[in-house]
Amino acid sequence: MASFFEVENLTKRFGGLVAVDNVSFRIERDEIVGLIGPNGSGKTTLVRCIIGILSPTSGTVKFKGQDITRWRPWKVVQAGLAGTFQVVKPFRRLPVIANVMVGCLCPRVTRRGEWVKSTQIKARDALEFVGIMDRALEPASNLSHGDLKRLEVARAIATEPELLILDEPFGGLNPAETELVAKSMKRLHKGGRFGRLHSEGPAMLIIEHKLSELMKIVDKVIVLNYGKIIAYGTPEEIIRDPQVIEAYTGKEVPVA
Amino acid sequence: MLKRRLNDFRWGVLPVPGRLMAVIFFVFLFVFPLISDARYPLLIVTLACIYAIFAVSWDLLSGYTGQVNFGHALFFGVGAYGSALLYKYLGLPPWATIPLGALIAALAGVVTCLPALRLRGPYLSLLTLAFPLLLSQVARAFPEVTGGYIGIRGLPALAASPIGRYYVCLIVMIVSVLIMWKLTDAGSKNVRTGLIFHAIREDEITARATGINTIRYKILAFAIGGFFGGIAGGLFGHLLRTVGLGVFAISLSFQAIIWVVFGGIVSIYGPVIGVFVLYPLVELMQGTAIGEYRNLIMAVIVILILCFMPEGIAVRIRDKIERQCPRCKLSNAAWRRECRACSASLRHVADG
Amino acid sequence: MIVPIIIRTLTLGGVYALLASGMSLIFGVAHIVNLAHTAFFMVGAYGMWFLMRQQGWGPIESILVTVVGVTLLGLLVYRVFLNRVRQHPQAILLITIAFALVFQELLVLAFGSHFRTAPALIQGSRLILGVRVTNQDLLALGVVAVVMIVMWLVLKKTKLGIAIRATANDAEIANLMGISVPRTLLITMGIGTALAGVAAVLMAPLWVFYPYIWMSPLTMILAIVVLGGLGSIKGSVIGAFIIALVETLVVFLLPQHGYMTTAFALLAMIIVLSVRPGGLFGTIFEEERL
Repeated sequence: MASFFEVENLTKRFGGLVAVDNVSFRIERDEIVGLIGPNGSGKTTLVRCIIGILSPTSGTVKFKGQDITRWRPWKVVQAGLAGTFQVVKPFRRLPVIANVMVGCLCPRVTRRGEWVKSTQIKARDALEFVGIMDRALEPASNLSHGDLKRLEVARAIATEPELLILDEPFGGLNPAETELVAKSMKRLHKGGRFGRLHSEGPAMLIIEHKLSELMKIVDKVIVLNYGKIIAYGTPEEIIRDPQVIEAYTGKEVPVA
Repeated sequence: MLKRRLNDFRWGVLPVPGRLMAVIFFVFLFVFPLISDARYPLLIVTLACIYAIFAVSWDLLSGYTGQVNFGHALFFGVGAYGSALLYKYLGLPPWATIPLGALIAALAGVVTCLPALRLRGPYLSLLTLAFPLLLSQVARAFPEVTGGYIGIRGLPALAASPIGRYYVCLIVMIVSVLIMWKLTDAGSKNVRTGLIFHAIREDEITARATGINTIRYKILAFAIGGFFGGIAGGLFGHLLRTVGLGVFAISLSFQAIIWVVFGGIVSIYGPVIGVFVLYPLVELMQGTAIGEYRNLIMAVIVILILCFMPEGIAVRIRDKIERQCPRCKLSNAAWRRECRACSASLRHVADG
Repeated sequence: MIVPIIIRTLTLGGVYALLASGMSLIFGVAHIVNLAHTAFFMVGAYGMWFLMRQQGWGPIESILVTVVGVTLLGLLVYRVFLNRVRQHPQAILLITIAFALVFQELLVLAFGSHFRTAPALIQGSRLILGVRVTNQDLLALGVVAVVMIVMWLVLKKTKLGIAIRATANDAEIANLMGISVPRTLLITMGIGTALAGVAAVLMAPLWVFYPYIWMSPLTMILAIVVLGGLGSIKGSVIGAFIIALVETLVVFLLPQHGYMTTAFALLAMIIVLSVRPGGLFGTIFEEERL
């Protein structure tokens, strides 16, 4: 039985620069996995390769037994894998709710018998879930950075993914907001219905810099440095790993 | 049934100045032949109807989807030549040649779209600019098929009388504009293309990452834009009963853009108003002392509008006379203090 | 057959290169697709004709006044109008086309739509490899070469050139580095239109001018600039000679279809764009799948 989600020997080169170097890992259906690493270690490129915005130089990505490596982004999303962007890219001049409604139009969702009529209600529930319902009618360009991050999440969960990839969901949020988002991630992961919004209880891949928050919610952690995986394990293992500490602090720390 | 319609009119149209003006405008168009049945003004308004379809189809493709097409005359020309050739070789009547010609134009839209799919911004605009030029030279190279410079003459008329022709064009215009308005309405409960077109214009990458097959919808936009551009071209050919190389002119492509920008881009009603204001105005100037200056005046108007009123004149006026309720998003007359439905205060909206 | 083709390609390509590199420079730095570019060229040619034929001025003062006049006109248009809508690419395209129409109409009103041509700057012609070439053509070719080399040196070696290239790369960061971006943009616009003015001075005696002449070279220049890659001067120069070659070949090989030159040039552009969406030397900003 193949894994739920599997990346094998994924490599992405930009000219001479190897941004992602022979990366392999797996995610199971019920896991939340963290992906950490210093700046420029290739995390975002890895995600963009998985979602299909960039095409990888070599390697394969498998999702639910299908090889999705060279699929177009929309096909990947329709298969049940959604991601958010690190640098938020909303539909700026559209109202916030319309941003989310686009996600609700994904054939993956409408195939389930939901037609355009219900999208507005569902988009509302998605906004309610991330907590920016009160801004629903404003154009997205009015939102603060933190709210835009939440909008990204709402847009992604509106497609009802089975695997959700979040690129720095806590970036630019204050500690209170961070905790709120972390909690809602947990809630989402449990699955169920939030009003009309249906949650598949998606597996998650969370890319983050704020390790303390991340470590509380993830089951496994992947550490990336210079495009390579340097460690993989539970949060407890990872924070003791000398290689990881070296990558983050830049010097050898004697293991106690 | 009738009572419900009347109620809609009483509560949905009368209190909103913009909608009321639209109704008055269409009623005026319907009774226009009663006011003036002289040939020349009637012909001008008939042509305005045709150009309105053309301008709105540009707005759908370029305004909504953001695929700024500088060669929209391609569709006009393909529609016109398509229906003319269908008549010339198959002898079909206008009611068959116009839709079929428009289908050919839609196909032309899909074909243009294929190299254009990978291009963005100015590259796309300049590429599309090339196609009508290319096709007009091709048409010129095969005079035995297309009539070369002279074009194809003697097409059957749309209707026997000028008034009949007027009503045909008017009704086709209204139906076409309504269809395009429905297709681009982002708030629509039944049609999703409007929202998707908006999304593609705003950010194509995000649209893709949200599960929208942007290629399919871009092709669709080109096909729809091409279809209605072709309808306009076909009507034009049968109205004047001749089709020449002028239907591919660059100036026609730019004319469409000027009408749309003048009226208000991404609004559907803006282009209609743009055409019905600018086109008769320019034609009126022709006979007068300032006729010599009319192109100059047009160009200066465009420059001034773009610099000082980039949202377009119709949209600007609508913003002046209507306000959207912040709570229920209903349109209200600007002079009201409270929303007509939920009685939320409109005061601060006016200030902001 | 070969020699005349080469000579015609070189002379035509030289003019195209001047016009296209000016347009490309303006696009690369200010992100303005200046559709009025060839209209400035046309205004310059009319200036030469008016000063030399109508006013009887000498060539030197006519050249100076024309180039300076065209440059000032370009700066005025940029400063008063284009600057305002610089953020909206579609508005730019429209407003520049509107300006081209304004120039066209003003010229019609002032001088009518007759065919005009200015007197040659230098007389005579000579035989090169058995082909007769006018001295004016040779002069044009020489000036083009000198201008291109000077421009290349300015862009590579001077402070101004570095400021221009920095602004082209990232206006925001150039601003932070202490470069006055508005001033750089203004200067770039000046250089671009000055190039159009120089082209006008060289071509006024060789081409026949009428108020609608801006349209056909415009499509050629657009094909060149897009084919070479918008914003790349190297691309524009190479593109200019490619398109000039295509045009010359059409004229020589299909003399009865001389009007097809635009079609073939545009075809060349479409083919290049289908293979490389950013043109020959253009840059696609992100390596995204399109």
